[in-house]
Amino acid sequence: MTGIALARRHRVPAWGVTLTLVLVAELFYFTLTTRHFAEGGKGMLVLTEQFVPTGILALGAAAVILTGNIDLSAGATASLSAIVVGSELQHGTGMGPAILYAIGIGVAVGLFNGLVVALLGIDSLLVTLATQFIATSLATSIGGESPPYNFSPAFQRLGTGLVGVIPVSLLIFAVLSVVVVTVVTYTGFGRALALIGYNRSAAEYSGIRARSVLVSVFTLSGSLAGVAGVILAAYYNSARDDIGTTLLLPAITCVVLGGVDIFGGRGRIGEVVVAVFVLGFLTQGLLIQGRSSLTATMITGFVLIGALIIKVSVERAAGETLLAATRRLVGQRTAARRPLRSLLDRE
Amino acid sequence: MAERDAPAAEKPAWTWSWTSVLVRRELLLVAVMVIIVVLSTLHRSYFWSSRNISFILADSMVITFVALGQTFALLSRGIDLSVAPIMGLSAVIVGFRAQDHGMTLLPAVLLGALVGLVLGVGNALLVGIVRLPPIIATLGTLSIYGGLQFVVTGGRQVDHIPVQYTDLGSKTILPGIPLILLVGLAAVLITALVLRHTVFGRSVYATGEDAEAAYRAGIPVQRVTVICYLVCGLFAGLAGVVYLMRTGSAVATTGTDTNANLNAIAAALIGGTALTGGRGSALGAIVGSVFLSLSLSAMVFAGIPPIWQPAGVGGAILLTVLADRKARRPIGRRIAPTWLRLGVRRRPA
Repeated sequence: MTGIALARRHRVPAWGVTLTLVLVAELFYFTLTTRHFAEGGKGMLVLTEQFVPTGILALGAAAVILTGNIDLSAGATASLSAIVVGSELQHGTGMGPAILYAIGIGVAVGLFNGLVVALLGIDSLLVTLATQFIATSLATSIGGESPPYNFSPAFQRLGTGLVGVIPVSLLIFAVLSVVVVTVVTYTGFGRALALIGYNRSAAEYSGIRARSVLVSVFTLSGSLAGVAGVILAAYYNSARDDIGTTLLLPAITCVVLGGVDIFGGRGRIGEVVVAVFVLGFLTQGLLIQGRSSLTATMITGFVLIGALIIKVSVERAAGETLLAATRRLVGQRTAARRPLRSLLDRE
Repeated sequence: MAERDAPAAEKPAWTWSWTSVLVRRELLLVAVMVIIVVLSTLHRSYFWSSRNISFILADSMVITFVALGQTFALLSRGIDLSVAPIMGLSAVIVGFRAQDHGMTLLPAVLLGALVGLVLGVGNALLVGIVRLPPIIATLGTLSIYGGLQFVVTGGRQVDHIPVQYTDLGSKTILPGIPLILLVGLAAVLITALVLRHTVFGRSVYATGEDAEAAYRAGIPVQRVTVICYLVCGLFAGLAGVVYLMRTGSAVATTGTDTNANLNAIAAALIGGTALTGGRGSALGAIVGSVFLSLSLSAMVFAGIPPIWQPAGVGGAILLTVLADRKARRPIGRRIAPTWLRLGVRRRPA
């Protein structure tokens, strides 16, 4: 509760370790109980193709949430980017320029979000809610009557290709994660993100240009959404106008499961990456087991709430060991009421 | 204005805010709506026909109900993202009872309210008792309730509703005034009375404005929060019944597919309710939804293809928020009117 990410830098990230253990347990469980899950490790890797776009969105969402803001438009931006890359390819644009256009439009949406949030000081929830609607409309209108489909094999490789046994999209995700983790963990920009989320006034007093940082972080989220859109289009070999919109909630779920405080100021992107795999493998494993996608969605919801309850209750005893916390909980159940943290933290 | 700018001691804050809210937001919206109506009627005279007007008003009622509930969540400085599946579940459950067992209207309304209330308990527990951040807790219940809706429908759908439902949804009492509007107005009136003139209503505002202060002032903050989410679920449940009356059908994706969540939040925000809690009104919910419905219809009449409707909603949100300086970050001194403050260096508070 006290101390921002800075102070706890060298501690073992308890949440990350927990998540990793859960991931390992989950992989073991599905490998043992479900045929066609592991396939000698190869199947497992190919499964990642299904949730890499979500993961990429989660990277951007995590950076934005670190500043105490939220980007609801990321999903719709991914749809828009998918449609743009699709229709450009259909109109005979080269692969490189088409991808650049798509990412460019993601950057544009992100930049717009950032500028409105930072310069006009409007709550990001509102702004990105509005841009989400606008991006959806744009995507639908560009897509037109028959959304683009059937792209060149070279482009499809981005979504379904393999390098050795490793999917191309997983490689892209790995590179992006390393970049984002490095930037957020080891650069001044990353520190600024967390500090703005923790206390914006303090950040401004300590010389951080909060507004330009905010513009950058929304642009980052937008461009990552653009990349996610390109990979989605390549994976499905078609681009619908809702192709990315449905990924927004899973992405935010990953961020929260990854231990990032929804009010900003605390969290590690590395743990978000682990959470992406935990949630992704969980969903895919359930699907392979023959559960319906709605069961998987429901379980996602339960996992989100469950993880949060555990995390919040552990954190309310911040600074104590688990044992001390347990002792305190058992011993002083009727003692003074806990502060109203969750209600107050938004200020 | 008075609530934040001047301390409550100087003026009777509530009466002051009553007039200022009325002048600042609802009247402004009504003025804009009149302009839209006049322009659209000049363009296509059919716009000002009793049929079209009654359609617009009736069409906005579903969102009005969801937005009324959402107002409670927003006022207490929370948010409820799970209202869409709550509404859908209520529509589906009530719809099946009506279709298969011929349930009459009154029990249907009660059942819808009960479904909403029960689902609201989930949110209330998570937000009020466990004290999870509202946006995350309701994001989780959104997935859970959404899945539940699929389970309840089990591949079937509601499409044969007794006529008494659809009658209530489509009848007009006067040309241009649908019957269902009266129901909506009654709900708004009750909500407004509760919010303005009961201890609970005032506690909701106080909790949203500053939970710590409210707690120290002896307001049972936790209980108020719990009740807010219960009421939010209740209204979403009622909205499901209203949806049945309007459309006569319900499927596994009802509520989620029409974006009831975001539209309701948009309506409440357009009506002047603040995301930061403590500001907003029941009147705003209905004015906001009618405004949304009206401007979408005007877009259709102006020949803008329906695919641009979401963009219209987005634009409406941005414009109303831009016009509202209290929606901005309260940072720095007010040197210039806020909408002019683009280039002015802002001092940290």
